[in-house]
Amino acid sequence: MARWYALANRIWGASAALPLAACGGGAQSALAPNGVQAERVALLFWVMTIGSGIILLAVTLVTALAICGPARWRRWLGRDGIVIGGGIVFPVITLTALLGYGFVLTSINDPPSASGEPVKIAVVGERWWWRVIYRDVAGRRIESANELRMPVGRPIEIELTSADVIHSFWAPKLAGKLDMIPGRKNVLTLTAKETGLSRGQCAEYCGGAHALMSFYVLVMTQPEFEQWLAREAGSAKAPTEPEAQQGMTLFAASGCGACHTIRGTSANGVIGPDLTHVGGRLSLGAASLPNDEAAYARWIKDNQRIKPGNLMPPYGIFSESELAALSRYLANLR
Amino acid sequence: MALATTRTIAILGSVVIALGVGAFLFAWSGIYNIAASEPHFAITYWLLDFGKRRAVETHSLLAPTAVLDDPNLVALGAGHFHGGCAPCHGAPGEPSNPIIQRMLPRPPDLARVAPTWTPKQLFWIAKHGLKFTGMPAWVAPEREDELWAIVAFLRALPKMDAAEYRRLAKGDAGRPSRGIRELATLGSVADALSRCHRCHETQAAPSPNRLIPKLAGQSQAYLEMSLRNYANGLRPSGIMQPMAAGLDERTLIELAKHYAEHPVIWAEAGIVQSAASNQIERGKRIASTGVPEKGVPPCLACHAGKSAATFPKLDGQHAPYIAGQLRLWRRGLRSRTVHGAIMAAIAPRLSEEQVEDVAAYFESVASTAAAPEPPPAPPLPPRRRR
Repeated sequence: MARWYALANRIWGASAALPLAACGGGAQSALAPNGVQAERVALLFWVMTIGSGIILLAVTLVTALAICGPARWRRWLGRDGIVIGGGIVFPVITLTALLGYGFVLTSINDPPSASGEPVKIAVVGERWWWRVIYRDVAGRRIESANELRMPVGRPIEIELTSADVIHSFWAPKLAGKLDMIPGRKNVLTLTAKETGLSRGQCAEYCGGAHALMSFYVLVMTQPEFEQWLAREAGSAKAPTEPEAQQGMTLFAASGCGACHTIRGTSANGVIGPDLTHVGGRLSLGAASLPNDEAAYARWIKDNQRIKPGNLMPPYGIFSESELAALSRYLANLR
Repeated sequence: MALATTRTIAILGSVVIALGVGAFLFAWSGIYNIAASEPHFAITYWLLDFGKRRAVETHSLLAPTAVLDDPNLVALGAGHFHGGCAPCHGAPGEPSNPIIQRMLPRPPDLARVAPTWTPKQLFWIAKHGLKFTGMPAWVAPEREDELWAIVAFLRALPKMDAAEYRRLAKGDAGRPSRGIRELATLGSVADALSRCHRCHETQAAPSPNRLIPKLAGQSQAYLEMSLRNYANGLRPSGIMQPMAAGLDERTLIELAKHYAEHPVIWAEAGIVQSAASNQIERGKRIASTGVPEKGVPPCLACHAGKSAATFPKLDGQHAPYIAGQLRLWRRGLRSRTVHGAIMAAIAPRLSEEQVEDVAAYFESVASTAAAPEPPPAPPLPPRRRR
């Protein structure tokens, strides 16, 4: 597990140093697919890009000949047949073929694979974060947030809905975009080919902090995933360290549980993200901060500066030591 | 023709310049007597008064209007008037100090002059004050709700006799209830407390004015914090800022302690339970489960017994006060304190109806704050309604 944190931190470091590095590095690149669906998108992209490149080259060549080529060639190019053939018939055939190919490619229904039933995950778009709900074999609802964990090689069926406005779920390495529309259920099926970490992003403008509505996707081996899900389903462990215990008391006394749930405590709010295992996530604030104690303190106090307009009120009421205690408590909810 | 015009302009110009220079020389010489001991010339008085009336009439044209039929507004206005206005303007049965009476212009007897202004004009004057008269502007001009209390009081003032004024403006503090010994031990605290008692509840009487918060049973930490926030202007109020700003550290702590240890005295149930039961039911739902789809967390997550000491308890609090504060948050007027910033994010998510519902609910709940000891001779014993 530690290697994923190391990788997440490398991505943090890279994206902080050079924002475009994330594209080149492929953590959030549709050109570095890691899934059946994303590969189709990439293939379509390359077919279109290379095909249109060849056509552009040919048209440029013909244009040059028509302007300054030998008189015989120019006469030949000026014939009605060439104009009708190259200007109408060829584009109609090519574009129709491309459209048909695109339709076929994007509407392939993947047959249930040999590796069993699809894993069902529900993702709800909220302003500006992702509510992620897993179901275990017993059908129990396990709520998490802002990252998607999935087993490799198995089809994943993601049910996409929205709690407020239109969002769009986009994990470029795994599949194309699919909108999350209030009052409607969209289902995205995807299959990851390799284990690894990638990043996703809301792809439909959904208000002020839209750009800060991201998430991580972690593809794990089947046993790793099962182990993780079993732990995620459990309640939070009560802290043993005094500072974290103080944090727990503060969390309860300051009304945090009005919006957040920590299973195993009195906190049962449903407005904000479930924090039962928040310390085990790869980021804070929907991939807007790394997951460390300093980031918790910053988020609690300055969340309106980090993510303006988010629903959480700024909590300036804590002293430095209280903030440290709260951060210690939350960071250790793994 | 052209020559004649030019000459006229030149003459007029010279006259204007001469008048300007003359006026400057007159001021420079210091001959004009500005002594307050001498009355104005009749013409000066007329001119100043005319200018003042016209300025107020014009500037108050765009002032807001309000419904002033709540009798609590008059009493709230009276409480402030006694400390903030009466020292200069005097009050029924209490003429102002002889020093004040030597001011020029002399602060007018408001029982006489208030009826000469419309409510909008009174509002404008109380909010902005008047230059060169000694009339100050309102300390927190954004608190228009407080200004309307002053206007409501000024409208009622002409018909008020001394006894009625004393009852409204001084409350229990008007009664000589405090023993010599208590005054001697409490000293400046007793003096400050008598100012609190003009509006807030006392040992002997419940808080009758539903626009004024009950303080008994709040934690000392919350009361201290509130007084400090008023004193340093972070919580705007033209009524409480002047009260809190004058308190020294010891008095402030003692006052907070006094009310924190104060027994909760209940008004008769009939007064409190004025809201319809379905409204209380709706409010209870908001308080205990929130309105998740609107991002409203349950009030009781913070405003209940186990929460941090700096969060106020709302059980039994007057509904109009709670609703009034929620409206202040919705208008962005209570967001400058760290605690206020929390509610400033939440209150705008409530509809006006939900504000009323939740306020009605809290007013209907019996306070859970335990009274440390029963009051010495309570006219109304603490009621347990559970």
